[in-house]
Parts: sequence; C-alpha cells; structure tokens
Amino acid sequence: MTLLIPLIPLLPLIGFVLTGLFGRAFPNEIHRVAVGSVVISWLIAMVVVVGALAHIGIDASGAGVKLWTWIPALGFTADFGLFVDPLTACLLIVVTTIGMLVHFYSIGYMAHDRGRWRFFAYLNLFMFSMLLLVLANDFLLVFAGWELVGLCSYLLIGFWYKRPVAATAAKKAFLVNRVGDMGFALGIMAIWTQLGTLNMQEVFARFSSVPGEWQVAIALLIFCGAVGKSAQFPLHVWLPDAMEGPTPVSALIHAATMVNAGVYLIARCNPIFGAVPGVMVVVAAIGIFTAILAASIAFTQTDIKRVLAYSTLSQLGYMFASLGVGAWTAAIFHLMSHGFFKGLLFLDSGSVIHGMSDEQDMRKMGGLAKKMPTTYWTMLVGAVAISGVPPLAGFFSKDEVLAGAFKDGFLWVWAVGFLVAGMTAFYMFRLMGMTFWGPSHVDPEVEHHIHESPPSMTRPLILLAIPSIFLGMLIGFPPDSGLIHQWLAPVFEATIAAHGPSEAAYSLFGIDGALMIATTALVAVAIVVAWRLFGVSIPSLNLHAEPRPDRVRELAERPGLAELYTGSSHKWWFDDINDFLFVRWGSRLAAAVWWFDRVVVDGTVNGVGAVTVEAGTLLRRVQTGRVQNYALGIAIGLIAMAAGYLFISVR
Amino acid sequence: MSHSLDAYLILSALLFAIGTFGFLARRNAISMLMSIELMINAVNLTIVAFGAFVARLQLHAAVIALLVIAVAAAEATVGLGIIMAIFRNRKTPLVDEYDSMRQ
Repeated sequence: MTLLIPLIPLLPLIGFVLTGLFGRAFPNEIHRVAVGSVVISWLIAMVVVVGALAHIGIDASGAGVKLWTWIPALGFTADFGLFVDPLTACLLIVVTTIGMLVHFYSIGYMAHDRGRWRFFAYLNLFMFSMLLLVLANDFLLVFAGWELVGLCSYLLIGFWYKRPVAATAAKKAFLVNRVGDMGFALGIMAIWTQLGTLNMQEVFARFSSVPGEWQVAIALLIFCGAVGKSAQFPLHVWLPDAMEGPTPVSALIHAATMVNAGVYLIARCNPIFGAVPGVMVVVAAIGIFTAILAASIAFTQTDIKRVLAYSTLSQLGYMFASLGVGAWTAAIFHLMSHGFFKGLLFLDSGSVIHGMSDEQDMRKMGGLAKKMPTTYWTMLVGAVAISGVPPLAGFFSKDEVLAGAFKDGFLWVWAVGFLVAGMTAFYMFRLMGMTFWGPSHVDPEVEHHIHESPPSMTRPLILLAIPSIFLGMLIGFPPDSGLIHQWLAPVFEATIAAHGPSEAAYSLFGIDGALMIATTALVAVAIVVAWRLFGVSIPSLNLHAEPRPDRVRELAERPGLAELYTGSSHKWWFDDINDFLFVRWGSRLAAAVWWFDRVVVDGTVNGVGAVTVEAGTLLRRVQTGRVQNYALGIAIGLIAMAAGYLFISVR
Repeated sequence: MSHSLDAYLILSALLFAIGTFGFLARRNAISMLMSIELMINAVNLTIVAFGAFVARLQLHAAVIALLVIAVAAAEATVGLGIIMAIFRNRKTPLVDEYDSMRQ
C-alpha cells in the first residue's frame, strides 16, 4: 500500500512535464495527457484513502514511506518522505476529486483559449505541489510544496498576463503570501534549533521538551504561514483580487484546495498548537474575526466571483475558529464539505460567466434560471449547502463548528459565528436573487447569446452537487460520532487527551439540539429576508417574490446602516490602508534608499574612477615617448642621489 | 701606471660623463648603445681600480668586473638585436622617430 503513495503526486508531475514539453506542438490534444494523469492519480489516491481509513495496509497512526535522503549534510538531514494517515486521507479526497473535476471542467471552459496547453500544464503542476504539501512528512518538504502551490497560484492568477489587472493581482497574491511564508520559514528554523530534526513525527513526539516560550514562538510562526496561505486577517487582501484568474483556478486553488493548506497545516500540527492554549485563542480570534469581516464585505459586492471569494474567506475563518477552540474534527469536516460546495459554486459562477460572454457584474444579470437550468439547479444546491440548510453538507459541518465553540467555552466565538451563519445565508441568496431570479438586466446584445454551458462543464457541476447534498449525511451523521469522527479520532485523540477540551457527549434533546434549532431558525429568517429584498422564483415550491430594489436602497441609506453599507462596499478600506502604509510609505523608503545608493554608493565607486582618470590625464604628459627624456630623468635622479649621499656623509 | 687612485677615479668619472652626454645628446640608436658601453666600462674601471688599491676588495673586484663584462656583452647583443629589428621596420636609426605608441 505504501508503495502506491509516491505515485499520487508523481503522475501529475509527469503530466506537467509532458504537457509543458509537447503542449506547444499539440495544443488541441495535449489536455488528454494532463487530465488522464490526474484521473489515474485520483484512482490511486482513492485506493490509498480506503486503505488509510479502513486500516488496510495502513494502520491508524499512519504509514510513511521514505524515498530518499533529500539533504544529507552531516548535522542537517532532511528526508524526502511521504506520509499518509486519516487526516491526509481526508485532504486527498478533497484535493484529488475536486482537482479531477476541475480538470474536466477546464476542457470546456478553456476551449477557446489559445494558451490552453499552458493552463493544463500549470494545473498539473499545481496538483503535484498540493499533493506534495499534503503528503510530505518533513517540515522542509511541506515548505517546498507550500511555496510551489504559491508559485502555481501566481502563474494561474496571472494566466491572462496581458491584462494588467490580472498581472497586478498575481503580484499582490505572491507578495502577500511571502509575508506569511516568511513566518513559516522562521518557524521551521525555530523547530530545527530546538529539536534538531524536521521530521514531523519526531517533532510532534518530542515537542513537549521544547521550552515554553519557544513553543509559543513556533506555534505563532507556523500560524503566521497559515494566515498568509489561507488569507486570514490581516493578510486576507490577496484572495478577492485573485479572482482575476480563470474561474476553474478560483474554484480549485482559491476555494477548494490551496487556501485550505493553512487549516491543514494547523490540524497536522495539532500536537504543537494543543500545547499552547494562548496561541489557540489567537487562532480562534483571528478566524472568527475574518469570518465576520469577510461576510460583511460580501453583503455589498456586485462581482459574482468576489462575493464567492469573500464567502471563502468567511468560511475559512470558521475553520480557523474551529481549530482555535479545539474542535479539530469539525474544522476538517467543514474543510471537506466547504471544498465541495464552494468548488461547485465557483464552477457554477464560471458557467454563468461563460454563458454571459464574460460578464461578471451581477447587476447586469437576472432571470438566468430558465436559460441555464443545470447551472441554476446546481448553484441552488451549493447556495443551500453553504447556508447551512438541513440536511445538506454545510448544515452538519457548520453545526459542529458552532457547537464545538459553544461547548468548549468560547461563547464569543459561537456568538459571532452564529451571526455569520445568518449573514452567509443572506448574501448567498442575494447572489441567487440577483443572478437567477427576478427580471433580466442583461445587455440586449448579450441577451440572445446566453446559453447553457457544454456538457464537459455541466457534468462536473452535477458530480460536485452530489457530495454537496450527501456528504454531510454520509460522514457527519450521527453528529459527533459519524464516520469523520471515527476516521480522525486517531489523529487528534492524543492531543485532546493531553490538553483538552473534553467535550460533553452529544445531546440532541439538550444543548446541541437547541443550538441547531437556533442556527437553522436564523438561517431561515436570513433566507426569507433575502428573498423579500432580492426576489425569488421557484415554481415547483410555489415560491415567488419580486425583487425590491427601492427597499434595498432605502435600507442602505437609513442612518446607522448607511455607514455600515459604505464600509462594506469599500471593503472596510483595507486596500487603502495597505496602499497608504506599504505602497506609499514603502515607495518613500525605497526612494530614500535609492538616493543613498545613487549618491553615496555609486558616488564612491564613480569617484574612485574619476580620480584615477584625472590623475592619468595629468601624469600622461610625463610620458613623452623620447628615450632621452627618460634618460635625463634617470641621470638627474642619479645626480640627486649622489649629491644627497655626499651631503649627508660630509656633514 | 699611476700610483694614485684619484687619477683612475677622475678618468672613469670623465668617461662616465662622456657616456652620459652621448646618451642624452645623440639621436642615433647605435651611438646611444655605444654611449652605454662607455658608461659601463667607466664603472668597470672604477671597480677594477678599487680592487687594485684596496687589498681587502681585490678578489671581489675581479669577480664583479668579470660579471659586468659578461652583462655588458649580453646587453650589447640584445640591444643591437632590438635596434636591428626596429630598423628593419622603421627604416631609421633615429630614436625620436620611434613614436608609434605616442598619443
């Protein structure tokens, strides 16, 4: 079984090499190689996943395979080793499945793009990097994967590099990520100095021997990396801009897989974070703050992909909050269900954009439900799932996150999370109302071009809608003892036993039931409010409401709400703050440094050169080229020396 | 043969001065080389004179004088060779016309 593990990342790597080498020669056929390699990789991954979760060939504590010694340098060694345990298996399900479906989807979505082979090469490279990150058993190797996914993210956001917006967004994502990665790198160095090893299992086993303040530093630095990669406050600014990339990329990298890397890393490092309760509170606070911040911004965005991007931030915030309160399993559960329904929502938005001739502004949409039925129904499934309507996937996972926060004593996390659940439902149905229901605001020229997407795009939508509906029931039911809990228990039980929190048993007719009913009621109210404001039209359920833009405007101008509305529509000025602090002051600092370089450093170098040239020009006159002149000089020198000698010896 | 060291020294100083003057004043490369020979021989005469009048220096002076003669011979050979080579190229023995490296 362990011999299969290296094949999972190897196949996309081979696909990347072949696609990259021969893509230009066979631009219309090469995607078969790219997609094929990912499909085979998926098949192998499923075998490994079954092995890891059913403990066939891989026992509960996981199994590793050391391929070779990567860096053998006397005192410093790093192994190229892969490792699979139930946590990795959960991530493998999400990464390979959604990755494969996005590959299929891209065949149709990128059909008209001349750079399609390049796109598939990057996608395959991303699959390799992400799988390496998930499977690596050594902090340095994780970091390599971590940086590679960042590189792929950069390449794919800037895929249409001729558009300046895309190129800038790619740079922004790369630079903001570097801030977090710097912290992660320092964290890895700190681990090395304290423990002398980077092998994850060894680090976790010996972590309690690290002095207390170093434990806090290591945890905070690793968290810093996670904050950058998962776009949490204050490094959240890159993710909405990353939507400039092609939509399959947004679905795969910026919703379903890469941004989950931070959550995965903290869950993987649970022995580290469990040992420092103070840092856990920081994780929870940052997470839940990002959740409400992003949800509030999603209220007023008009770009369909940006709404989903802020929604992603918000849901990632949930996962971090869940990790922070110690509800590890709930975080991974939400990661999985979110991966599927957010991947679905993004691919749906891509289908809408594709059908609308690249229009992304929701104010110019409306009434698409009849024209794009498959897209509409699957997106409705996604919206219902993310809103947390029972019994879809989001309901179970979100409920566990909130219940975990409440029962582990983080009432404030629960309170904010509860509010965010309502906000999520509201902005998702605002999106649905503006896009699919209500009267059409589509440009007349675009109107008659609107079409349902080709089957290569709609089939992945249907395939993703299925887990969005059933995943929660399948692995999250019954709550707190479903399959996901059985799977992940071996990963987290040691940490929970050592550091808590010891959770009360699930009680349907007690606190858990009450929380569930409260959340569901809030979600229902939020959905109804969204319907009343932005319209709804579901004939089969006999639901109909006209959108009321007048009331929306009136609400947005009401005192007290108007300020919130302005703040939300300006994304709480984070881009402006960053622009002021880092761009403006950064460019001033750069100008000062440039002046120093120009005047002092260059001045010294050029000064030495100028003095030499001047001295040479002056001294050149001595060189007349006449032998007699030189000889006269020698003779005069000789006489002077002789005279001097006589003068001294006589005295 | 005089018994005075001074006479030898004055003679060699005179020879050296003539050689120096010849070297500085003549433009012909061959004449300059001959002037150099004159200077070398003036110095050699001094050495030999000191060897004859100062018993302690007798042996040293003889050795040094032989050495100087050998060096002078070698110098004349090389110098003449160089001058011949330049002469073939420039068709003139006058040193102030050797100015192709002047700026």
